[in-house]
Amino acid sequence: MTREEVLGDLRKKFKDDIIEVLDKSPKRVYIEIKPEAIIQVASYIFKDLKARFNTASGVDTRYHMEILYHFLIEDINLLISLRIKIQKPKLEIDSLATIFEGVNWIEREIHEILGINFKGHPDLRRLLLPDDWPDGVYPLRRDYKEWDKNAIRDRGVKCQKQ
Amino acid sequence: MSIKLNALLNSPWLFHLSTGSCNNCDIEILDCLTPRFDIERFGMLLVGSIKHADVLLITGSGNRKSMERVKRLYEQIPKPCLVVAVGECALSRGMFIHSYNCPIPIDKVIPVDVYIPGCPPKPEAIIAGVVKLIEKVKAGTAKK
Repeated sequence: MTREEVLGDLRKKFKDDIIEVLDKSPKRVYIEIKPEAIIQVASYIFKDLKARFNTASGVDTRYHMEILYHFLIEDINLLISLRIKIQKPKLEIDSLATIFEGVNWIEREIHEILGINFKGHPDLRRLLLPDDWPDGVYPLRRDYKEWDKNAIRDRGVKCQKQ
Repeated sequence: MSIKLNALLNSPWLFHLSTGSCNNCDIEILDCLTPRFDIERFGMLLVGSIKHADVLLITGSGNRKSMERVKRLYEQIPKPCLVVAVGECALSRGMFIHSYNCPIPIDKVIPVDVYIPGCPPKPEAIIAGVVKLIEKVKAGTAKK
């Protein structure tokens, strides 16, 4: 299937769930979908189109939080990014870990760094942060404040004022 | 103690420890040991266990998780030993000074003898730094 066939197929099949399609370049396309439809769209792309799951990324913007799932179809050299906007303060979304295994650890990392709850994830423990990190503090949010009293944040060089 | 250190520095054995680096400095250290900039001809060997080491080479900005392990490893290395900090991140955390995961620079946790700046330092710079340290120790004017 060529690129136009793939995009036309997706637009026809998920006509109500797609909000916007952004054709960034011949190799990349961003598709924004509603948060309720993520499991259907992701399992269609993974199973029927035989795409490969690359990674997932998350961002905290001023009005909402976004998660992007990146899938790669190698034969036609196309990278599809599914964008999901989650409204604050209720940060919850269905987990994709029941469909394919590769998304297990990246969802654990997004949960401990941004604080998004994945419903239905089999094992939502801490992955990269140390064990004595306080609960409920999420480092990459916009309102993260320094909580550590013993941190040294200057280089120890005194400048001379003449 | 200084006699022992002088004797050991005729062919020091190195232990390489990375505390959360991007691996560029690790690649440059390994370049020093390959046939182009050959430091194995001076007897410097890379060992796998900390109990066999004379010199500890540290790269990477210190993570919270890896700082506990660095403390334990420094207690286990047989003294007298030398500690070398390679790369900008090991000197003072470099550009990660405001990061949430690197609160303290490495030289507030263990005593460091030689600092080799660069991002990453060229193998010539690493060799020059180690040679300066060895000359300083043999002349008897080093800290120990």
